[in-house]
Amino acid sequence: MSRFRDLLGIAIGGILARKARTLLIMLGPVVGVAAMVGAVGLTESAKGDLKARLDELGTTLITAEAGTAFGRQNPTLPADAVRRVRAIPAVERASAVAEVPGVVTLPSEGGADYFETFPVPVLAADSRLPAVLEVPVRSGRWLDRADRVNRTRAVVLGGGLADEFGLIPGEVRTIRLNGIDYGVVGVLERVPLEPNLDNAVFITQWAAENDFATEGAPTKMYVRAAPGTTEQVDAAIPVAVSLGSSDSVTTRIPSAALEASAQADRTLQQTALFAGLLALAVGGLGIANVMSISVLQRSAEIGIRRALGTTRSLIGLQFLAEALVVGLIGGIAGAVLGVGVVALVSAVAGWVVVIDLAMMPVWIGLAVGVAVLAGLYPSAKAARLEPLETLRLG
Amino acid sequence: MSTPVHTPASGPVGGEPLLELVGASRVFGQEAPVHALRDVTLQVRAGDHLAIIGPSGSGKSTMLGLLGVLDRPTEGAVVVTGHDTAALADDERSRLRGEVIGFVFQQFHLIPYLTALGNVETALCYRGLARAERRERALAALAEVGLADRADHRPVQLSGGEQQRVAIARAIVTEPRLVLADEPTGALDTVNAVLVMDIFARLAQADRALILVTHDPRIAATTNRVVSMRDGRIVSDVAQAPTPFVAEGSGVAP
Repeated sequence: MSRFRDLLGIAIGGILARKARTLLIMLGPVVGVAAMVGAVGLTESAKGDLKARLDELGTTLITAEAGTAFGRQNPTLPADAVRRVRAIPAVERASAVAEVPGVVTLPSEGGADYFETFPVPVLAADSRLPAVLEVPVRSGRWLDRADRVNRTRAVVLGGGLADEFGLIPGEVRTIRLNGIDYGVVGVLERVPLEPNLDNAVFITQWAAENDFATEGAPTKMYVRAAPGTTEQVDAAIPVAVSLGSSDSVTTRIPSAALEASAQADRTLQQTALFAGLLALAVGGLGIANVMSISVLQRSAEIGIRRALGTTRSLIGLQFLAEALVVGLIGGIAGAVLGVGVVALVSAVAGWVVVIDLAMMPVWIGLAVGVAVLAGLYPSAKAARLEPLETLRLG
Repeated sequence: MSTPVHTPASGPVGGEPLLELVGASRVFGQEAPVHALRDVTLQVRAGDHLAIIGPSGSGKSTMLGLLGVLDRPTEGAVVVTGHDTAALADDERSRLRGEVIGFVFQQFHLIPYLTALGNVETALCYRGLARAERRERALAALAEVGLADRADHRPVQLSGGEQQRVAIARAIVTEPRLVLADEPTGALDTVNAVLVMDIFARLAQADRALILVTHDPRIAATTNRVVSMRDGRIVSDVAQAPTPFVAEGSGVAP
């Protein structure tokens, strides 16, 4: 341990002795790492806002609908589709809505003509829907068990619809569905991944069956997969729902499009990364070059250390440690510089800074690796020097 | 006088043998071999204060390389504190140097970017010493050569004499049994030479051997044994009573 400390102490002493030269050979690792950190950081940050939005929304939501088959006007999913899907191990939550056709929704007595022409979609929903969408209610509450058990005529409005109706949060309000008064109990926040829910009216299954005489078969299902299993769950849903029958099921991952547009420009990233690697490699050559000359200039020092009892291998390690410290400090400085550049450019361009800090040890490690590799030759040269030849006796 | 003779000298001679050359030869080159040292036998004991003298090309430096375990004989043996150096691996010879031998060179060979203290501490690296202990011992060695107040100076800030005294502190900080000095006053003016030789006089102790390689008869006079060399052979090896170093016509010496 003390040996290692001595070695590091001597290496750092050697580096500090020639500050200008050390700074020069450090430029290689600094520029190389800064270029790589900057390349990745800038290309990622350019899409940073989309990435941030994607992180917020998540990529685990899947929607499933009955495929439109010939001869069926309003295809529906099997009544127990949710139960079937929840049997898939990686499914965390699932919920379904059933479209209730032919209902005219009136927020007030006026505007009946308009709302007859452009009807507001009415959806029968279960109590789990907000949890599956991971969207909170903006005000009031969601349809719950009590509504179903007590057979209340409660309704929840989509966020967009509530804005359109000019609903004030907390206001006691009734709306008419085909002439029947329903009490508004809550407003659902907007659903960015499924905007058509924003303009819908949600009622209970009981109300759908009782007041509007529908079968209540689900028309659309929302499934939340465990993180990282979206693809597998997406593939498993049609099988689980149709159970081998000819009824087709169409699934969609609403975040997929967003994900695609949030992808950084890979070609640009790779080009810049390559440039960074090149800078690092050239920097390595610089280190090898300068250190080789340094070994010649310091041959007297090497000779005296050998005379004082330092072994060949420790002399070699001393120079290797100098290279390592140059790579390490240069790498860290480069990482800091790269992050600074990304932060600066992002601030100017109005981007959201995206930097993968977990990659920093990799970039710095790369710089250290190149520096040590470059230090191998001069170190071997230093270790080979014969003290007798460098001390000029007599 | 043409055969090597070791006459027991007066004074503390007769301690344990620290260093032995047994029929040692050193040949440089192969196509046109140069016989720098021919069949030399020499025994150095603790308490020996030895001068090796001779003209240029007499084999003094080659001898120094062998005595300092910096080189190996082509023939014969060099035995240092019981170790046959020819049988040791390079790392073992390095360790032997570090443990047993202290070097003082004509050109000082201080490391230019280290302070006086740092240079002395260099000799104590890789010995498992705590930083504080290393520093303390180095400071003590600097005090011994009268440079305690110069500890933070770099070699360029020191005079030649001071640099050589730092080098001596570096040589003795490990408390070596054997101190090898190569023309230690060769690059110094008379005043500094006197100071340096005073220190060497103090270093000549019963449990230590001191070997001065020189061509200066005034330095040889300060020792208790003089080995003369010519053409790679020892031509005389005589004991003598040491006399203090005298600076010619300078009036500095007492």
